[in-house]
Amino acid sequence: MPMGIKDIVNRTKAYHCLDCGKCTSVCPISLLKEDYSPRRLVQKALLEKPESLLKDEFLWWCLTCSMCDEICESDVHYTEFVRDLRAEAHKIGQEGVYAHNGTMQSIMRMMTLSPTLKQNRLDWLTKDLKVKIYPTDSASPTDLLYFVGCLPYFDKFFTNLELNTLDIAKSTIKILNHLGIEPILMANEKCCGHDLLWTGDIENFKKLAQQNIEEIKRTGAKKIVFSCAEGYQTFKQEYPKHIGALDIEVIHISELIAENLSQLTTHNSQLKVTYQDPCRLGRFCGIYEEPREIINAMELKLNEMPKNRKSAICCGTSGWMNCGTYSKQIQLARLTEAKSTGADLLITSCPKCQIHFKCAMNDENTPKEAKIEIQDLTTLIANQLNKRKKDVNE
Amino acid sequence: MQKLAPDIQNILEAKEVYLKFPQISSIKYAIKKVETSKCKSACPIDTDVKAYLGLIAAGKFEKALAIVKRDNPLPGICGRVCVHPCETECNRNEIDQPLAICYLKRFLADYELNSTNSTNSINSTNSNNSIAIIGSGPAGLTAANDLVRLGYKVTVFEELPVAGGMLYTGIPEYRLPRDIIKIEIDAIKKLGVKIKTNTKIKNLNKLQKQGYNAIFIAIGTHKGLKLGIPGEDKFEGFIDCITFLRAVNLGEKVEIGKKVIVIGGGNAAIDSARTALRLGSDVHIVYRRSRKEMPANEWEIEEAEKEGVKIHYLASSVKILGEKGKVVAMECIKNKLGPPDASGRRRPVPIKCSEFKIEADTIIPAISQQPDTSWLSANHGLEISKWNSFVIDEETLATNIKGIFAGGDCVTGPKTIIEAIAAGHRVAKSIDRYLNPEVRSEKREARVEFEVVVESKDKKERVLMPELPINKRKNFKEVELGFTEEMAIEEAKRCLRCGFCAECSECIADCDKRLVALSIPEETSGILLRVPLDTNQFPLNGGPLQGKLSRTDAKEIPVIVEPITARVISNLCRGCGDCEEICEYSAPKLQEQENGVKICSIEEALCKGCGVCASICPSSAITMNHFSNSRINTLSVKSVDEKKIVVFVCNWCYPMAQDFKKLDLNSINSKNSINLIRVMCSGRITPAFIIEAFVQGADGVIGIGCPEGECHYVNGNETAEKNFEKARDILYTLGIRPNKIKLERLSAKKPEKLEKIIGSFINTIR
Ligand SMILES: Cc1cc2nc3c(=O)[nH]c(=O)nc-3n(C[C@H](O)[C@H](O)[C@H](O)COP(=O)(O)OP(=O)(O)OC[C@H]3O[C@@H](n4cnc5c(N)ncnc54)[C@H](O)[C@@H]3O)c2cc1C
Ligand code: SF4
Ligand code: SF4
Repeated sequence: MPMGIKDIVNRTKAYHCLDCGKCTSVCPISLLKEDYSPRRLVQKALLEKPESLLKDEFLWWCLTCSMCDEICESDVHYTEFVRDLRAEAHKIGQEGVYAHNGTMQSIMRMMTLSPTLKQNRLDWLTKDLKVKIYPTDSASPTDLLYFVGCLPYFDKFFTNLELNTLDIAKSTIKILNHLGIEPILMANEKCCGHDLLWTGDIENFKKLAQQNIEEIKRTGAKKIVFSCAEGYQTFKQEYPKHIGALDIEVIHISELIAENLSQLTTHNSQLKVTYQDPCRLGRFCGIYEEPREIINAMELKLNEMPKNRKSAICCGTSGWMNCGTYSKQIQLARLTEAKSTGADLLITSCPKCQIHFKCAMNDENTPKEAKIEIQDLTTLIANQLNKRKKDVNE
Repeated sequence: MQKLAPDIQNILEAKEVYLKFPQISSIKYAIKKVETSKCKSACPIDTDVKAYLGLIAAGKFEKALAIVKRDNPLPGICGRVCVHPCETECNRNEIDQPLAICYLKRFLADYELNSTNSTNSINSTNSNNSIAIIGSGPAGLTAANDLVRLGYKVTVFEELPVAGGMLYTGIPEYRLPRDIIKIEIDAIKKLGVKIKTNTKIKNLNKLQKQGYNAIFIAIGTHKGLKLGIPGEDKFEGFIDCITFLRAVNLGEKVEIGKKVIVIGGGNAAIDSARTALRLGSDVHIVYRRSRKEMPANEWEIEEAEKEGVKIHYLASSVKILGEKGKVVAMECIKNKLGPPDASGRRRPVPIKCSEFKIEADTIIPAISQQPDTSWLSANHGLEISKWNSFVIDEETLATNIKGIFAGGDCVTGPKTIIEAIAAGHRVAKSIDRYLNPEVRSEKREARVEFEVVVESKDKKERVLMPELPINKRKNFKEVELGFTEEMAIEEAKRCLRCGFCAECSECIADCDKRLVALSIPEETSGILLRVPLDTNQFPLNGGPLQGKLSRTDAKEIPVIVEPITARVISNLCRGCGDCEEICEYSAPKLQEQENGVKICSIEEALCKGCGVCASICPSSAITMNHFSNSRINTLSVKSVDEKKIVVFVCNWCYPMAQDFKKLDLNSINSKNSINLIRVMCSGRITPAFIIEAFVQGADGVIGIGCPEGECHYVNGNETAEKNFEKARDILYTLGIRPNKIKLERLSAKKPEKLEKIIGSFINTIR
């Protein structure tokens, strides 16, 4: 067995695999793509020619949603196994099929070209949003840093989905301001690298990670808040693994709000909502209850989907890769599940969940059973704050 | 099976280029090839008849000539006097008259004569092996031509003062002008073949001792056979046809009388008769069987009769009558036809008491010839048949002595030029295999005969060959005058294209329809092939490559010949229908699967290959054959090692852009170099290509497409506009100045604008 693969097998405990098939039974892809099975890939690494694994098309179909990890009784870390095998495969020129012809990946790689790059990523900021922009404004080490993530890029790219992803950033800042926080925003923030990591481009992932960490150090901030699940997970779990421990606290916006529930305005409406657990937030980081606490605190009716928390079905794709018919089917099924709860609104706390679901609903053929309004948790909160303000004004 | 719109169905059914239905596994165009056409398989050297006829029909004379010359070193000669078995087999025989395949070959040779640049050039010999060829007839010349091209040192020995064998000494000048023979032999000499005339070989051992590694005996049949009737050796006035024609052809003085009898029915007989006629004699031919059995070419007999030769069919010579030691007449007897003999022809049986007399002072027997082997030394050791011909291995043409080969008439008995040429080719291959072990291991190609489908049955009369009027023929001027260009094209158009694909290779050359591209696996560059789907212009539809391409170094490399069309990787399709919406040709179609999921497929016959859909498909489910994302990105990576401007050019602007490549960039005062990347339509340029070019270090990206309303794909340039806008927005966020990304319109009507466009672009980005 080549060293790389051997190492991965050891690290992810793939050798524990009992070939029981439980992973296959919960894998959303296996359900649709009959010849795909996580178990089989693991077995291939253990038994057959492991090298052939690197050229296996199946390697790129995994959603990395971690459903299998959750159920595996032998503690095999299948998603990590896939993540690291992809990195090995990437070294020998293999790759998945990037969505949007690879636009997203190109944007990410473009961001590695520091220091020549002078992004214009914050020109959406309006006066009412109180922030400190690093390096123009002075900041103090006690300040909280808000990591905006790729929202400005999504905004430029997804012009046809009625997304307005920047709403998430604006809402987050509004909430922070409401909590009396004036966050630092980095003019030179880079993509967190999540998608490069999960599509095997370790080299560029590390570049982004290093550049981000260096810039954050320069700001002096000791605490970073995220409005996206992926950025949060990447900083919290992947950066330490790949570039060493950070002496920075990493939190998700829902954690921060959950500590300040009393500051939320209640929603005295009949609005029924349901909540989509993003896999990076839920299964990866164990944040299940905070968003629910927030929804409850707002006195909204939360209709849970039958598959929630640990068994929540993912939004169908990740890493802007291999996003095809299976993804679409997973998305439609999940949307139908959401709609069938009777909810009026589907809440998520990951911008990508929103993009993926909205894309799935975008075509004419979408049945009405799968059509539901979607909002980010931050938007839900911020809109309410706005309303409240208006109410007060009136 | 999927149903296509009727007009498309028609195109597909009628034409040689058609679409394999997607459900039959691969989605590829195929070139319809119903094996080989009859004309080609009738030809002993497999001439690509259809190909050259087709090219003539298309007015591409030079290319047609190249096809002919590929197999035939003597096109001007064959174009005049070949017995053209191809025409005998031509499928048009069933409809009206065969194609004038032979005359059209002559037309090409004449065409070359009149154009200045000859294609032959001197070859460099790269082998230490030298080869001796005995005899400079078509067999010897062909072998010499092939072997010198393979790099061998070749010397041809010729007993007579002129080279050409029977071409020169047998066939009369009025059929085959001497300068034609000279020109074609000179071309072979120019390749490096040495021809030693006036050099009779008398000893093979000696030749071998001189260091020749292989010997090819191609001495033809130059010994006339005797009649074997009383009086033959008694009287003066006999001259056998070979001696007679040779003397005339060599310009020697020949004494023949006023009254000449030629005996025999082959070409030699007719030629002797027509020659004697030209020398002023009154000529009779005596032939044993009926006209139908006469082996001479039908058209030769006709000409002879027209010119006034009297032919006595079904008559045999019985004895020669003489006076004062000189011939005065010949006694003949009439025949009737009995049952067929071994040759399949009906045997002549004399009719009793039917003798008659023909007056004569010269008698020219032209009954048959044998090789003259009298020069061989007593202990030569070669196996010789009872007809005095050389016995050889049919496959290799090797004699029983190692290193000695024989072919042409001296093996087969008197046959034809084209068969001699075939023997020459075969011997050249054998000798190469004999001297070059690497070649030896290769398998010989077998010849296969095929069944052919004929489709069109429309009648169209054969174009007649212009001839010298009968009253102007009392000389040795060429009788057949040759086709004009118009006549040649007209005649070539009659070809039925049996078997479809003409194998003319034209589909890889230039034409203006762009549907198919050829690429070499692993290489990023490709060649655009233009196999028109809907053209009735014959023959731009050959598929000669059979998956291989020969390089100049004679190495075969595999190629992929595919239409430039979109393809959907079905499990990547999200069924969103964006492609359906954007395609101007309704090529993408969403189809509901069993599980209710919609998946798109591309109707290949409708797809024009612009790639607009691929540029907007959200899941990259659509790839473009030959213009895939990875290829385009690789091209842009390759380029950007220095500061460069990446220029994505639409196919229709590309030729103009390429001209630009030749321009002196100093004229626009730029240190930037330009990297042109072709796409079919500017709408193919997805934002990712533009961003990736910057990732790779490009200094600016410019897209060039057609102006509004001039897009070759209706509206592709509008998509281009949107894609560029999006890329510009994203790149702005990434800190790239918007003026570094530009989409320009270039009208074919104003090509000079290009230089300005790029020049000012470079200025603005600085
Ligand atoms: C009158 C006539 C008309 C014909 N018309 C046609 C026609 O219209 N169409 C057609 O296809 N075919 C025709 N043929 C047949 C055709 O010419 C021959 O089949 C063909 O030329 C044979 O080619 P070859 O190379 O085998 O031999 P040849 O052409 O006969 O050449 C052999 C050469 O070898 C030389 N030679 C012989 N012995 C020696 C030696 N010891 N040393 C050196 N040199 C030697 C000879 O001088 C001669 O030049 C005709 C033949 C004749 C006689
Ligand atoms: S645009 Fe792409 S995903 Fe959408 S239907 Fe066409 S092929 Fe499928
Ligand atoms: S948009 Fe262009 S490439 Fe795509 S299917 Fe239509 S014609 Fe073909």
